[in-house]
Amino acid sequence: MTEDADTLYREVILEHARHPRNAAPLEHPHRRARAVNPLCGDELELTLTMDGEAIREIGIQVRGCAIAQAAASLMSKAVKGIALSEAQALGRAFADHMHGDETSLPAELDGLRPLEAVKQHRSRINCTLLAWQALGEAAPLVEK
Amino acid sequence: MSFPSPETIRADFPIFRREFHGRPLAYLDNAATTQKPRAVIEALVDFYEHHNANTHSGVHTLSEEATELYEEARGRAARFLNAPSPRCIVFTSGTTAAINLVAQSWARPRLQPGDEIVLTAMEHHSNLLPWQQVARETGASLRYLELDGEGRLATEHMEKAVTEATRLLAVTHVSNVLGTINPVERLVRQARAVGALTIVDAAQSTPHLPVDVQALDCDFLAFSGHKVYGPMGIGVLYGKSEHLDAMEPHASGGGMVLRVERDGADWMEAPWRFEAGTPNVAGAVALAAALDYLQGFDGEALRGQEIALTGYALERLGERSGLRLYGPSDPAQRAGAIPFSVEGVHPHDVAEILDGQSVAVRGGHHCCQPLMAHLGVPALVRASLGLYNDTNDIDRLAEGLERVAGIFRHD
Repeated sequence: MTEDADTLYREVILEHARHPRNAAPLEHPHRRARAVNPLCGDELELTLTMDGEAIREIGIQVRGCAIAQAAASLMSKAVKGIALSEAQALGRAFADHMHGDETSLPAELDGLRPLEAVKQHRSRINCTLLAWQALGEAAPLVEK
Repeated sequence: MSFPSPETIRADFPIFRREFHGRPLAYLDNAATTQKPRAVIEALVDFYEHHNANTHSGVHTLSEEATELYEEARGRAARFLNAPSPRCIVFTSGTTAAINLVAQSWARPRLQPGDEIVLTAMEHHSNLLPWQQVARETGASLRYLELDGEGRLATEHMEKAVTEATRLLAVTHVSNVLGTINPVERLVRQARAVGALTIVDAAQSTPHLPVDVQALDCDFLAFSGHKVYGPMGIGVLYGKSEHLDAMEPHASGGGMVLRVERDGADWMEAPWRFEAGTPNVAGAVALAAALDYLQGFDGEALRGQEIALTGYALERLGERSGLRLYGPSDPAQRAGAIPFSVEGVHPHDVAEILDGQSVAVRGGHHCCQPLMAHLGVPALVRASLGLYNDTNDIDRLAEGLERVAGIFRHD
């Protein structure tokens, strides 16, 4: 085994992939979005309930690889309780960081550090961004 | 004719001198693209170092040389397919461009509502999306021939492959995912009986099987240079002259006209009328070198070796628990591709871990999303064979899968 794959599939990633947090769909969501990775066909569905501007609950279902699963799980932990617009800004910062910008990772995203190993695997970076992409597009559901 | 061992063949390919993660490369992604032998790389360099000029326009020596080399390459491609004339060979950028050419130049002006295009459920997007587009634009409909449990065309669908409404049958010779070899000759006969034309996607068959367009009797056939050990960016459309001569160009510009006036133009004859713009001359010349290289081997012996290696791979992979193989169980019914899934592990994770062991395979939908849906999987891992692969590569694949199991152990 080379160090490359060892670093990529470290225990915290595998643990989140096996037991993703916040993986249940929300029953009465206020917002919803879907994201698809056109390169591999991975799909992700995200639902949110809101307390005003803040994210109260988040539910993410991923049909995809371990990296996408773990990234969604780690992200869901990081954004709970903060304002949606703030979370979306964190997502943009994370995307910049993963794409190699010299920006440092915001402190709020410390828990996502294990994903930094993916930066060395260009074709997999989008796997780490799928959940953030959905969050960026989470549209309000019209009340009936 | 010669038939050296895979090890000797590997020595012809400079890329295998490179190490990956400290190990030689087990390259099992040949259905995506093959590696290039020195003869092909040298043909490219030789063209640019000694013969580079534009074709068909200059009277100077270099231009005449370039034109001659380009037209010789057309003749070489014609011989490769046993086409009756070089005039049946259109150079394109690849299989995708060749199929789109037929879609735009032959099908779009001719099909109408009520007409039917017949495809198979295993088509690559490049032999599917152009027909979806034609169907949308003309009102023609698409119909699919379904597969049996081993990924072959189902017998009951074969029997009713075409109807009186069928105008075109578009079928892959060999599936890029399943490796299945389709009975193209039989399908062409059926199509001919109802007056339908046929186009064969030979991108995956030309690297592995002899392809004889006169024996197949197809109307069109397409293949890519880079999958037969040639360069990227060059491919071939074969068409019967009766069709090519009757088709309008899909693109126009320099190099394909006899006479241009302010209000009109006369096209050159086929195949040149389909080659607007400066062609990929170096690519065509290097493709000819690749065809020389490939046909320098005893094809039957090569095929026998490949069937044996496929059998070995099916056996080695088949003995792993949690691994599911797709495609025909008989190695003689398949060519190249060996797709599989590993229970509980996404194909991209499998491919990533194998890459860490310097084993190159592809994980994904392989540009066959409708086939993935049919198989009920989001994606598959695919190992695919080339001239230079041997049992050692398969052993390394199996060892790599052991690592996959180790990392993704269920606890």
